[in-house]
Amino acid sequence: MKKYIIIVLPLLFSLIVQAQQKGSVLIKNGTVLTITKGTLETTDVLIRDGVISRIGKDLNTPKGTRIIDASGMYVMPGIIDAHSHIALDAVNEATSPVTAEVWTGDAINPLDVSIYRALAGGVTISHALHGSANAIGGQSETIKHRYGTVDPDVLRMKEAPRTIKFALGENPTRVHGGGQGIVPRTRMGVEAVFRSSFSEAKQYMQAWDKYNDGKNNKGFKGTAPQYDLRLETLADILRGEVIVHCHSYRADEIYMLMQVFKDFGIKKLVFQHANEGFKVAPELAEFGAMASVFSDWWAYKFEVYYSTAYNASILHKNGVVTSINSDSGELIRHLYHEAAKTQKYGGLSDDEALSMITINPAKQLGIEKNVGSIEVGKDGDVAIFKNHPLSIYTIPMMTIVDGIVEFDRKNDADDMRIYADPDETIDVTLYGTGHAGDRCMQDAQFLFYK
Amino acid sequence: MTGLKLALMHRALLVLFLGACYITSLGQSDDLDPVTRIYAIKNAHIIQAPGRIIDNGMLVIKNGIITAVGQNIDIPAGARVIQADSMYVYAGFIDGLSHAGVPKPKEEDKKNKVKDPGNPPNNIAGIEPQRDVRDMLDPNDKSVDEIRRLGFTVSHTVPYGRMLPGKGAIILLSGDNPDAMVYKQQASLYSQLAGTPGVYPNTIIGVMAKYRELYRQAEQAKAYKSLYAQGANGMERPASDRILEAFYPVIAKQIPVAFKAEDVLSIQRVLDLRSQLGFNLVLADVKQGWDIFDKLKSSDIKLFLSLDLPEMEGQGKSDTIKVDKKEPLKLEADLEKKRLQARKDEVIKKHYQQPALFSSKGVLFGFSTAEAKSKDIKTNLSKLVENGLSEEAALAALTTSPANLFGLEATMGTLDKGKIANLVISDKSYFNKDSKVIYVFIDGKMFEYRDKPKTKKAAKVIGKWTYSVEGFQGVNTGDIVIKGEEGNYSGTISSVVTGDTNDLSAISVNGNQLSFSFTVVFEGSAIEVDIIVTIDENTFEGTMTPGEYGSFSIEGEKVPEK
Repeated sequence: MKKYIIIVLPLLFSLIVQAQQKGSVLIKNGTVLTITKGTLETTDVLIRDGVISRIGKDLNTPKGTRIIDASGMYVMPGIIDAHSHIALDAVNEATSPVTAEVWTGDAINPLDVSIYRALAGGVTISHALHGSANAIGGQSETIKHRYGTVDPDVLRMKEAPRTIKFALGENPTRVHGGGQGIVPRTRMGVEAVFRSSFSEAKQYMQAWDKYNDGKNNKGFKGTAPQYDLRLETLADILRGEVIVHCHSYRADEIYMLMQVFKDFGIKKLVFQHANEGFKVAPELAEFGAMASVFSDWWAYKFEVYYSTAYNASILHKNGVVTSINSDSGELIRHLYHEAAKTQKYGGLSDDEALSMITINPAKQLGIEKNVGSIEVGKDGDVAIFKNHPLSIYTIPMMTIVDGIVEFDRKNDADDMRIYADPDETIDVTLYGTGHAGDRCMQDAQFLFYK
Repeated sequence: MTGLKLALMHRALLVLFLGACYITSLGQSDDLDPVTRIYAIKNAHIIQAPGRIIDNGMLVIKNGIITAVGQNIDIPAGARVIQADSMYVYAGFIDGLSHAGVPKPKEEDKKNKVKDPGNPPNNIAGIEPQRDVRDMLDPNDKSVDEIRRLGFTVSHTVPYGRMLPGKGAIILLSGDNPDAMVYKQQASLYSQLAGTPGVYPNTIIGVMAKYRELYRQAEQAKAYKSLYAQGANGMERPASDRILEAFYPVIAKQIPVAFKAEDVLSIQRVLDLRSQLGFNLVLADVKQGWDIFDKLKSSDIKLFLSLDLPEMEGQGKSDTIKVDKKEPLKLEADLEKKRLQARKDEVIKKHYQQPALFSSKGVLFGFSTAEAKSKDIKTNLSKLVENGLSEEAALAALTTSPANLFGLEATMGTLDKGKIANLVISDKSYFNKDSKVIYVFIDGKMFEYRDKPKTKKAAKVIGKWTYSVEGFQGVNTGDIVIKGEEGNYSGTISSVVTGDTNDLSAISVNGNQLSFSFTVVFEGSAIEVDIIVTIDENTFEGTMTPGEYGSFSIEGEKVPEK
């Protein structure tokens, strides 16, 4: 007689939540790396309703609070990545050198399993940046890794200020000048695009001011300027309502952009990549510009050869708020290793090195009041590690967002996708995804080849 | 064989062929007016509305209107009597979104090269809200009969295009000319979250931004225009702008925006636009709404679920998979494959169960066919019923609900006296898998679909096709060229990846199945590659089997002849 084994299908993965959830946990007896208030041995951290409510020894357990034993482990603030393209259905609207009106917040994909992978590396917040195809790219969105929802809105970090992506150098000149034969073809052209765009926005603001001033006067017959979403956004930058994150490599260009911003009175500026940032570190510090860099990644195109692994340390020691980012769905899983490299190259202290992936990126995203350190009143975003997170032997054990355990190494299923693709061809053969999952120029490649 | 015999055979073939043509043409509109416009459908099982059934009933149609329905009704003088014993009569189905009656546009010319891709002309950018589907209708387009023969009598039909293809209309799926088809013109402003390759807006973020900007510009222009109407003296003349003007009736809430949004993310993006801009919304071709049910329910939208369903391999499997112990699953990869298959099936099942779920929650919804292949629609309806949707609820979603959603309930949706004579008559209960539609009446005009013989014509394969195969090395693409004539084909296949071109052998066409082989040399040994595909007009899908190296799915499409 034939015997059958029955494979019972895994139970429906029904972790889908509709609204943003907040949880309560008590993390007991860990070594707490607060980043801003030193390291506390054998200390408890209590998160109530998504917010850190107490830090201390032998805290009582409020009713309904899950206890997590962190004895012998390290408790640090959730890691923040200031440059990422995960969880996005579109990265570049590469058809125009200026696209200030577009917004990656419209392309948030909460189903992207990269969110879970980032959580597995202790990352609780990422900056879902527009790509670098355009001189003035799109507005971007700061997302919290609240995995398990199909609602893009749940991922948005509502407290985060608006940000926008700019880009210098080879990317915008290749796409628009090289690909389409329009400005900018050169680095001079990129500067001209900034200056003409801001000048146009200024005129737009003035025309609206004139209209608004007059419209309540008796017998007013004036015409308002036509609503223009692109100029509205540029005007908001001029008003200081948007933090500019600018893709950059060369020192001369970094310096150029600071001059342009000075001329237009724009202050909120973060340079992304900034591989030659070390050459203009005092100037950056003086301007108040920040820098978000790779630990040791360069030479992938001509303008990125003159680089050093000491970049982050030099910038930091010159007083520039510096973070280390991933720009990759792979690197995002081990940003703690990337931060540790600043100890090898520049001898930064533990707190300094960890600030590169916690409080500093929080400052660059304008969310340092909410996250980036373990302090009472801040969001309950925590990563727990076995062994010190800057040790090569460290292992991320648990990642908590708003008091909800989003990753637990002890309960880590193979298939963490929220939806399977109903049309997928099932193929378990693995194949490479190319250059470390870099998506900076996604949706723009077609413009290079004519 | 003598010459005479051959000639006879040819003649026989000719007769057979013409005969087939004649029968096929039934169901198409006739040039002559019918002898009478009075019909009496006798002895039928009449489903007046979901749950309202008359056995052995009679339904009388006069001049396009249902004039009587019930039992013990006299047959009016001059009526054509339809003996409908044991047949089922339903109100004609209403399609929530389709392109029925609109000829499919030819593949666009790739040389749409614009000088500045950031600022393309509106027609290239897919921004054409000023267009009207009435100007595109062709009553003889095959898309009309394709859904009519399934029982659809009315469709909310919209133009093809990208972001803003134009205005939709409610049309009857009959009529001798475009105007005769139109029941309600300018019924919606049709929109899609679809960018245009190579120009602005290209991606979802571009489309969302552009949509907001156009809408707000239209609001501004409309407000200024009404100010100007109040007192033009001394004011700058408002510019005429047909793109923005197309939004005016939407802003005035006279017509809704009809959005096609299939997946769970697109739906929510459309809901975002709606909550920011405040238009009335028809949300159609919805496929993945089960997890955002509350959003769909609370936002007072006119909802149409797609009749396009993903296909499950090996239909009929239950929640357990039986595995023969004699062939144990040795490899971890096999187990993983099973697990992945199970997850995929689970998502597919959610698609099948969605209408039942929505129905159980008391949400009003209709169905739409925009993305569905007409040959699958009837099977899919049965599939939805098998997955928990009651026949009554299914019928409501095809008749009363869409009539209500579109405000057509005064004249459509049920078989009641005074309504337009739109009905469908099937030989068994419509939702029975084996049922066949025998008659469709639209506006009182009869279409008969009885006895249509299956004409198995060989698919046209000659020409150049492009293909793509998903293999373990990524995607391989290239061309397949087939020459010659029926019974004597030859051809080649080329690969973009390897740059090789190989001759095809054993080319055979059976109905819509095309198969052929070719030989490639791989690491010194010759491998015979077999390809079998099913052709559907200008596209194909099938499998490629390279010797012992497994099999891969292949798909392709015909390169249009110049």
